[in-house]
Amino acid sequence: MQAAITYLLTKMADDALILGHRNSEWTGLGPIMEEDIAFSSMAQDKIGHALGLYSILHEQYGTPDPDKYAFLREEKDFRCCHLVELPNRAYDFSLMRHFLFDHADALRYEYMAQSSLESLRPFAKKLKGEIKYHTLHANAWLTQLSRAGEDSYGRMQAALDECLPLALGMFEQSSFDTELMEAGIYPGEEKMQAAWLERIYPLLVKCALNMPVPAEPVNGGRHGFHTEHLGPLLDEMGAVFRLDPAANW
Amino acid sequence: MMNNDSLDPRVNRLHLSDAAAPVIVNDGENWNIYEVFHQEKRGAHHEHVGCVHAPSPQLALVFAKEQFGRRKKCVNIWVVRSADIPAFEVEDEDMFANNADKTYRDASGFKVMEKINKYKAQQRGEK
Amino acid sequence: MPVDYRRQLIRLIEQHAHSEVMGALPEGTWITRAPGFKRKLALIAKVQDEVGHGQLLYNAAETLGKRREAMINDLLSGKSKYSNVFNYPAETWADVTVIGFLIDAAAIVNQVANAKGSYGPYCRALDRICYEESFHLKQGHDAFIELATGTNMQRQMLQEALNRWWQPIMHFFGPPDKTSVHGEKLMQWKVKMASNDDMRNQFPDAYVPKIWELGMTLPDAALQKNEAGRWQYTDPDWNLFFKVINGEGPCNAERMKVRKWAEESGRWVRTALMSHTAADMLPVA
Ligand SMILES: [Fe+2]
Ligand SMILES: [Fe+2]
Repeated sequence: MQAAITYLLTKMADDALILGHRNSEWTGLGPIMEEDIAFSSMAQDKIGHALGLYSILHEQYGTPDPDKYAFLREEKDFRCCHLVELPNRAYDFSLMRHFLFDHADALRYEYMAQSSLESLRPFAKKLKGEIKYHTLHANAWLTQLSRAGEDSYGRMQAALDECLPLALGMFEQSSFDTELMEAGIYPGEEKMQAAWLERIYPLLVKCALNMPVPAEPVNGGRHGFHTEHLGPLLDEMGAVFRLDPAANW
Repeated sequence: MMNNDSLDPRVNRLHLSDAAAPVIVNDGENWNIYEVFHQEKRGAHHEHVGCVHAPSPQLALVFAKEQFGRRKKCVNIWVVRSADIPAFEVEDEDMFANNADKTYRDASGFKVMEKINKYKAQQRGEK
Repeated sequence: MPVDYRRQLIRLIEQHAHSEVMGALPEGTWITRAPGFKRKLALIAKVQDEVGHGQLLYNAAETLGKRREAMINDLLSGKSKYSNVFNYPAETWADVTVIGFLIDAAAIVNQVANAKGSYGPYCRALDRICYEESFHLKQGHDAFIELATGTNMQRQMLQEALNRWWQPIMHFFGPPDKTSVHGEKLMQWKVKMASNDDMRNQFPDAYVPKIWELGMTLPDAALQKNEAGRWQYTDPDWNLFFKVINGEGPCNAERMKVRKWAEESGRWVRTALMSHTAADMLPVA
């Protein structure tokens, strides 16, 4: 059970860390100052969520302390999905990724707030309001940009076409899933994906955006197979920390 | 991957153009201005704290929440388009100028103790 | 409001706003590489605050009648200046700690003084800014101390950064009073509340001991406090200062290119949601 829980929390935390890291790259470079600030806050929140989960892992499941676990771990031991790894492109891509990811994130934490895993419940409850803002932000942007003329609508549709297969990779299954489901810790990725689709579908309809079909999920991340972007990202993230991992920074 | 020979790896990933190439932001590109009022606790006044530029009331709220509510206690925010706030002109300030003189509207304009004391002193004198 | 007072106020507040926005770039250099969660989160939050400061200051300037778009255009065309200090590179992580500690400290000296000035909207923005600057200074000092009390490699890294940044810091308060073009008038109007030389003297008083107590040095053999309590220092190279102002600093071109990139790449978002009735609105003051 320990291995299954470690896997579950690690994949959630890795997603949050890598996406938070990517989103933080916009800080100071956003499309307008007000949005720069809002998006940066959410990047900080995500990195904070990762830190929270790594801390639970460290204190209760014996993984290395959060800094070492995040900044020194090898690429193959990361469990994030490909969606979060891709470099930022134009803002449409970042917004769509944020929309698709944060609705899934909201659902994950809603389930976690009722999980049989007691160590996670207070953490999940604490994040509720934060994530509510993230989805509010994502919904507001998506609805407005999708209704703001041809160019803008076209960009959002193209971003959805590109992101959806990657987003389906968030729900990649693993051999730990049955164990987690039977213990009432986690409802399983199949159920999660269905709930997610149910949640985003009406929002996409509101935006007149079309679900690309068929969309094959891009899997691999949950098993340690990553895009060519994760390795360089981790090298960059650890560049200073790894100068002397024993030092205090 | 780009390389702009920057010390910032983020910058090396951008397609930069020439520094001399002119870039002009058009009028209105920074949208409308909304005044922001925050409330520290339920029941308290909403106080003016600044403004945000936003294309809609909905995004104005989204922006105001982080620019004016990310530190310290805040339970609610109002936004209203600056253009929708009627106000007096600076030179109309003189309409308020005599407020302080109109003491008949103010507790300070009524000296009851003086009168009572005078009466009491009188009473003592008569005895 | 006298025309000249308004014009000078706009010029000053606008430059201050540009400095915040451009200041986000040198420190942004290390956002993706900050070592450990605490530093990573603090640095993102700090750079975010600087963008927020720019936002507050542009709003304050807008109350005087100049629209934000016009101010941004003047920044991009080079017509309006920003603080010279941001045209220097942040070469290592240690540079970020020096900037966070000492440049922010220098900014606080300036901003605390000006917060008592005569123009309300500017002062209100500065009050909020100063509150956040105290976090910047503290997190910078904390990261600085971590290096100063760390391994030999860390100390060396820090010493090299200090050596690089000392002169830009001395430049930060602006040219000597006797050569400053607008200084006297701005002080008469209570827009600028302390002279450049006064601030330059106030700064070492508070911060040089904090550097020396950690066994770090500053690259000026003449630096010392005399009996009268004034700091003596080698006059920084003012020719260099003016050269950098006029575009010849090590990072002027890159900063401008990056700022232009940000404006260009965000343009589709802004124009998509543009309202055609917005053109002549200003904040209510
Ligand atoms: Fe600032
Ligand atoms: Fe600062």
